[in-house]
Amino acid sequence: MGRRKLAQPAPDRLFAMSTAYVTMETSMGLTSRGAAAIVFQPLATADFESIVREMEEVVRATASDSGTTVTSSDDTYGFRWLVLRGSDFDDLVVGINAVSTALEAGGYGDRVLCAVFGFNDERTKKPVYWIYNYKRGAFYPFAPAAGAEKRDNEREFVLKAQIGKELPVEQELERWFPLWGTPI
Amino acid sequence: MASKNSFGRDNGLQARMLFTIFLLGLVYAVLIAVLIAAGAGAVTIAIVAAGLFALQLFTSDKIALASMGAKEVTPEQAPQLHAIVDRLCVQANIPKPRVAIAQTPMPNAFAVGRSPKTATVCATTGILQLLEPAELEAVLGHEVTHVLNRDVVVMTIASFFASIAAFITQWGFLFGGGFGGNDRNNQNNNGFFIVILVSAAVYVISFLLLQALSRYREFAADRGSAILTGRPSALISALLKIDGGMSRVPQRDLRAASSELAAFYIFPPKVKQTVGGLFSTHPPLTARIERLQRLEAQLQGTA
Repeated sequence: MGRRKLAQPAPDRLFAMSTAYVTMETSMGLTSRGAAAIVFQPLATADFESIVREMEEVVRATASDSGTTVTSSDDTYGFRWLVLRGSDFDDLVVGINAVSTALEAGGYGDRVLCAVFGFNDERTKKPVYWIYNYKRGAFYPFAPAAGAEKRDNEREFVLKAQIGKELPVEQELERWFPLWGTPI
Repeated sequence: MASKNSFGRDNGLQARMLFTIFLLGLVYAVLIAVLIAAGAGAVTIAIVAAGLFALQLFTSDKIALASMGAKEVTPEQAPQLHAIVDRLCVQANIPKPRVAIAQTPMPNAFAVGRSPKTATVCATTGILQLLEPAELEAVLGHEVTHVLNRDVVVMTIASFFASIAAFITQWGFLFGGGFGGNDRNNQNNNGFFIVILVSAAVYVISFLLLQALSRYREFAADRGSAILTGRPSALISALLKIDGGMSRVPQRDLRAASSELAAFYIFPPKVKQTVGGLFSTHPPLTARIERLQRLEAQLQGTA
């Protein structure tokens, strides 16, 4: 089953996506959709809003060098999506990490729900997402299928097997919660 | 003594099946003890035992199908089902078995018959509605593997030998044991009681071994399905759907789950496999999924 790893702080495990993407591109038929998002639950406090604004500015400043754009939107569940779009995948990972770091530094780490990375699946010609759960420090695949709120479980298990140990993957299947209607 | 190797989990049915099989075997063992006590010769006993065994081997599949209300279907009546079975049998290189459908919303699939030529593969209407085509193919691949491995015959013979083990114990007691004393009547009564007891104990042990054998063959059938279809993940997906329990990959949105604090602070309650372990004919679901995931990893070259 593999050697036991020391539990690393969750944000460091996010960076596994940078190296894992190489494998995804070369041997799994996944290419980045050029978009990644961090999803968090906003608080109606002035403190929280100012942290979010500061963080957006910082991300925009660093992102503009590499051509990455930042947009912010709220969804029907009341969660905020900070969407980073750009052609440099590593920049997306760095940007996502910057946001979560800022929120954590402000003491709002528990407001962060997850990070989402979007890919185009060459095999199924459909989008595939790797969702990173900050609480669990693990990724899981999400492959929406044709039809309302349907997912391709088989494809997800295949992707899990293909990525192997390149990513810390969530072992408990009942935690593979979907994100219906992602904007990326 | 299992005459069918069923796929799905129906705990009530499984418990009843288990109890029936256990009782059947016990009756078998007691019958032989009675025959011995009645002074029947070895030849008579052998003939009776062989007769019962043959009866079981040749009629159990018809009884199983009849008990499920399964009706054979033609390719015209069920083209998709037949197409899947066709493909699997070409892949497995066995003659095509008969195909039957049982009218019940309970998702299940099973195979009966002692050889590929005399076998029937049956699917319930419940499973036909529940699964995607690839998942159904994986499930039927599991059943076809049972046919291919002649699991019905293997399990029948194994259970027969379990009864033989009890029989030999009784024989050994009566002719080797000896209780001393000259009072033949008294000796027979005491001896008879002990013989029943010990042969029942031997039978219980054999029964547990049989369950272990059955579980091993279920793993083998899962593996066979993965090899036949090349899609172990389709079988995982099918197993989770049939199980329908908490171990399913969830449908609920992460944001909905977290709003209820389920994902954030409280771990989703894990449903323990209550009918399992020593007394189950099927291995636990998590064990089956783990092995199938390992097979998928081997297939993908990441194991």
